[in-house]
Amino acid sequence: MSKIQVSRRGLLGAAGAASTVSLFAGPWKHNRVWAQGAAKPIRIGITADASGMYANSGASDKRGMMMAIAEANERGGVLGRKVEFVHIDTETTAATGSRVAERMISREQCGFLVGAVHSGVANAISQVAQKYGVIYINTNSSSPTEAGQNCHRVKFVFDGNGTNFAKAAVKSAIERFGPDWMLLTNDYVWGHDTAAATKALLKEYGGKVMDEVLIPQGTRDFTSALLKVQQRKPGVVSAAIGGDDQKAMRQQVVQLKMGDKPAWINSQQDWDDVYGLPIENLFGVFGTTWYYRLDLPGVADFVKRYQTMYPETAMRSPGNLFYNGYMSIRELLGAIERAGTTNNIAVIKALEGHKISARDRMQHFDATIDAQTHQVQQTIYLATANKAPKEKDDIFDVLSQAKAEDVRDTDSAKLCKLESYEQTPTFDA
Amino acid sequence: MIDLLPHIINGLTLGLLFALIALGFTLIVGVMEVINLAHGSLFAIGAYFALTVIGGGWFAGTPFGAWWLSLPLGLRYVLALAIGPALAGLAGMLLELCLRATYGKPPLYGLLLTFGAALVIEELIRLVWGTGEQNLALPQAINGAFLLNDMIFSTYRFFAAGFSIAAILAVWLFLERTSAGAVIKAGAHDSEMVRALGYDLARLRLLVFGFGAALAGLAGVVMVPIWGLRPHVGVDIVIPAFLIIVIGGVGSFWGAVIAALLVGLAMGITGAYAAAWATMSMYLLLIAVLGFRSRGLLGRKSALEN
Repeated sequence: MSKIQVSRRGLLGAAGAASTVSLFAGPWKHNRVWAQGAAKPIRIGITADASGMYANSGASDKRGMMMAIAEANERGGVLGRKVEFVHIDTETTAATGSRVAERMISREQCGFLVGAVHSGVANAISQVAQKYGVIYINTNSSSPTEAGQNCHRVKFVFDGNGTNFAKAAVKSAIERFGPDWMLLTNDYVWGHDTAAATKALLKEYGGKVMDEVLIPQGTRDFTSALLKVQQRKPGVVSAAIGGDDQKAMRQQVVQLKMGDKPAWINSQQDWDDVYGLPIENLFGVFGTTWYYRLDLPGVADFVKRYQTMYPETAMRSPGNLFYNGYMSIRELLGAIERAGTTNNIAVIKALEGHKISARDRMQHFDATIDAQTHQVQQTIYLATANKAPKEKDDIFDVLSQAKAEDVRDTDSAKLCKLESYEQTPTFDA
Repeated sequence: MIDLLPHIINGLTLGLLFALIALGFTLIVGVMEVINLAHGSLFAIGAYFALTVIGGGWFAGTPFGAWWLSLPLGLRYVLALAIGPALAGLAGMLLELCLRATYGKPPLYGLLLTFGAALVIEELIRLVWGTGEQNLALPQAINGAFLLNDMIFSTYRFFAAGFSIAAILAVWLFLERTSAGAVIKAGAHDSEMVRALGYDLARLRLLVFGFGAALAGLAGVVMVPIWGLRPHVGVDIVIPAFLIIVIGGVGSFWGAVIAALLVGLAMGITGAYAAAWATMSMYLLLIAVLGFRSRGLLGRKSALEN
């Protein structure tokens, strides 16, 4: 009988090495025994911002995901497995987003990542996710680059993007308010790409850009830019300003009494950015993907479930960010059920090209997860301030709804080059 | 030139607000020889308490809160202008008591302590008031805009600039025309002599710190309707305040005022013509000034150089 002697130092070294390997091995490491354990929960990493300029938006995003996870668990889980989540703040910072993604995959054993508001953060997370083959759902960031040049096989984009919103608004705004436009653009990827989409449409429909002011992220004093608008006297100002920056801008536009003239087109208006502001701060026309008072089946019940689950939340009605967070988890878990496995490639295939009925999405028209870009092509709504609210939160007046095919982002499809299935690491989550 | 004029006016009004922030900072540096990195946090404290006073705060939803909110907004705003700075002043005095352990030691100790205090205050703000962006409601009389030769201006911005001019003059008169001001100035130049003359130096430092903190709080109440309010607003604001006192010359009252106006002008004009450079412009101004005069515009050899 052989006898192996192990020194205490050797034992400690081996234990250290083993724990290091286990910490960094991650879920992409194919391990059938581990993966097939029936009791092993499906673990989702929520990458919502909890601080920085999108802290409020990230909180709504996360609440939406948590409600969808709670509902799935009430139904008995997915494939007989409980759904768990871990949340780490990505701080609205791309570098933090990368670190969080690495940690969630390698240390927290998350098989799926979900959540984003800031496009730079989403892009950073998706690069890490692609490296490991972990499916990443970008819930709420809407730069066209997300489903364009920065697309990935593992990434799915659930919000409408700047091009979708611009397509819904630009043509009719030129006809109504004239061809002379001025752009206020947040100086980062989402702002630039949304502005680029607007410029392309202006060119197509005979409008012209009189001037463009780049607004650095974190700007709180918009007076210089607004004085410039006042000097140039454009017919329309198209603003791609996000998060708390937009809140500050809206207040200052109202202070300067510039909300009615010129006409304002805001690419996208997130619920959290205007909730609680006076109604006059909701000047202009803006895009959204959902509103809590849409007269559609399921909406009222959805709102009730939100209010029951979050009785203490100051925001008493769910907005588009919550909706996207909720829908993204629901579709992810649905894809796992359709695939009958948590194998990442199988789940990706179950998501690609999946059609979602208007009824299921509580929107006016059917939606599709584009197999070529991985962006959810969906109904886009244009809205403005509601001057005759039925209740306190009834602040939007939905003006129109556009079918997905009428506002499809065809430019992103040309730029998106998804990695092949073979280039994507495979594992069972 | 006509295009430039509104931006010059806008820059000057912004500069006057910066001057208000820098005043308390320069006073504390001059007398205490402490670079108070928590100055921005005291600015935030003043603003957050003002928010509570104006919005009914923790009493919102109670009968008292309802009664409070029934008071005219103008009255609540005036109360906020008094209560916000007063509580910031008290917080400043508490900070000074903590700082006493660092006196006589290398400046790094004070710097680290105030930096730590800034972090603690920011976290406390998150706990008490939450993480979201907030804004102070303004009375109708000082809200809105007016046209001047086809140039549009914010009424509140002019109100705030006027308020800043009044505050700057009041502080200057206090320092130049009162015996208490004379003692403070003397304390900045030769604290040992002040002590030898029978003045309680510890008390003097406590009061100066409290006064400087109250000025920071006042700046907070006046400025946040323009800048908005978020937990890290203190960190955002302490950087321009610090640059301003360095550009103006550490400890120089009028140096700080002139530097603030220059920073405001630089930011206002670049904000219109090269917005991406708006923040960078104040650093470039710092480099330009220190390149020609290492002690800043009106700076003399300060105690920090000993």
